[in-house]
Amino acid sequence: MPAVSVNNLTVQYGDSRILDGLTFDIVEGSITAIIGPNGSGKTTLLKALLGLISYRGDIKVFGQATKNVRHEIGYVPQRFTFDKSFPITVNEFMTLASDKKYFKKDIQFQLKEVGMWSAKDQLIGSLSGGQLQRVLIANALLNGPKIVFLDEAASGIDIKGERSFFELIKHLNEDHQVTIVFVSHEVDIVHRYATQVLCLNKKMICMGKPAEVLTTQTLQKLYDINISLYSHQNDKHS
Amino acid sequence: MTNIAEIFTYPFMQRALISGIFLAALLACLGIFVVLRRMAFFGDGIAHASLAGIALALLAGTNPLPIAIAYAIVIAVGIYLLEKKTSLSSDTIIGIFFTASMALGVVIITLQSGYQPELISFLFGNILSISGAELPLIVSGVVILLLFLLIFFKPLVQIAFDKDMAYINGVNVTFLDLAQYITLSVAVVLGVKILGIILVSALIIIPPATAKLLAGSFKGMMIISVLISELTILLGIIVSYVYDLPTGATIVLVGTAIFIFSLILSKIKK
Repeated sequence: MPAVSVNNLTVQYGDSRILDGLTFDIVEGSITAIIGPNGSGKTTLLKALLGLISYRGDIKVFGQATKNVRHEIGYVPQRFTFDKSFPITVNEFMTLASDKKYFKKDIQFQLKEVGMWSAKDQLIGSLSGGQLQRVLIANALLNGPKIVFLDEAASGIDIKGERSFFELIKHLNEDHQVTIVFVSHEVDIVHRYATQVLCLNKKMICMGKPAEVLTTQTLQKLYDINISLYSHQNDKHS
Repeated sequence: MTNIAEIFTYPFMQRALISGIFLAALLACLGIFVVLRRMAFFGDGIAHASLAGIALALLAGTNPLPIAIAYAIVIAVGIYLLEKKTSLSSDTIIGIFFTASMALGVVIITLQSGYQPELISFLFGNILSISGAELPLIVSGVVILLLFLLIFFKPLVQIAFDKDMAYINGVNVTFLDLAQYITLSVAVVLGVKILGIILVSALIIIPPATAKLLAGSFKGMMIISVLISELTILLGIIVSYVYDLPTGATIVLVGTAIFIFSLILSKIKK
């Protein structure tokens, strides 16, 4: 059974069609990247998969409607737009999402997992972009999800932080068997970390292994510009 | 000093203090969410809109508080639905309800002849005019709303931080969002009796804002906000009584003084 199964998905706001008849499966245990230019519907697709917006078509997560399997899902938003001066510590923030009996132990485990346990008493607003995203991942992992969705979660993080962020994602996928779906606009990151890529520009342009489907022709079609691709010597998926 | 001790022997002052203590805790707790969700204009809008409910009740010759609460709930639901169903911004929608209800209130008031002391107490607040019949209504209302906040505290904070994340975490965002609008509108109307339509939002904004300057954690902010709110109300009532000043305005000025003192303190600490 695929982790996510999408059949003829269409999202329309007024006369504007944002997503047009998408049909695809996301393999369980994969790291799937959704890429495309600005306005291509990446975030809209993610919101539809999460059940946050209305749509036409059919979406199943682990064979069920999203709302019935929310406990199996973790979500890391693109931007966390709360008032940064608001005094809430990392630990306090983590306790909000957990109602488990032994949640203190879970919080400790997840914060250690993302390397943020030492920052548990720091205010959320004092964290760097990369640190905050790590905390959000720990938060998304608290209830033991089988799949985690990330919406350009590494945007605003410097290159070093971004690499380390995706190393963490890879670790969660490989060592904890968590299926990952992430939105990105960085082909380099997709090549390096994704096992499956969905190219989107309102319609599905390509779907498959990055090394196979991310060709110069596909990217030119996707971004509608002249673009050249340079292969990575250290790309494990190529 | 004897005078201050005497204050607490008067029944009207006892009613004022009891309702003040309860309302201070509620408005301080709700104020945290108002500051976090940037909903200050909602509180102000509901307070002003309640004028129409109060005017209606006065015209009908009934107790204004229940009618004003019912009217405020209708307005809160109206704002919530329009926010969901239209592309208009929250500020615009609140502005429409706020001004339309104020206008309706003014028109209804002109239908009544003569001086309206009850109306004046709602406009500018007079905690000392809380009647024996109103006290149980205020106390029970506050207890119910505080219980709601206590039971749904974590989900409400999650919604305040990120609605999408809250939904994925299993929170019923639609229900709790609407419930929070209604809670805030009822609390504002209960507070109108103390501070008046014009000043009530001060008690929702100033204590949490002051606490935000001083606190080093969310828990700390909650505690400091409630303590400052209680201090503000009690000091405000006593000062207004001793110096024969309007209660609502005095409470707001006391709160503002505490805010300024805290601001200076927080700058010195840094």
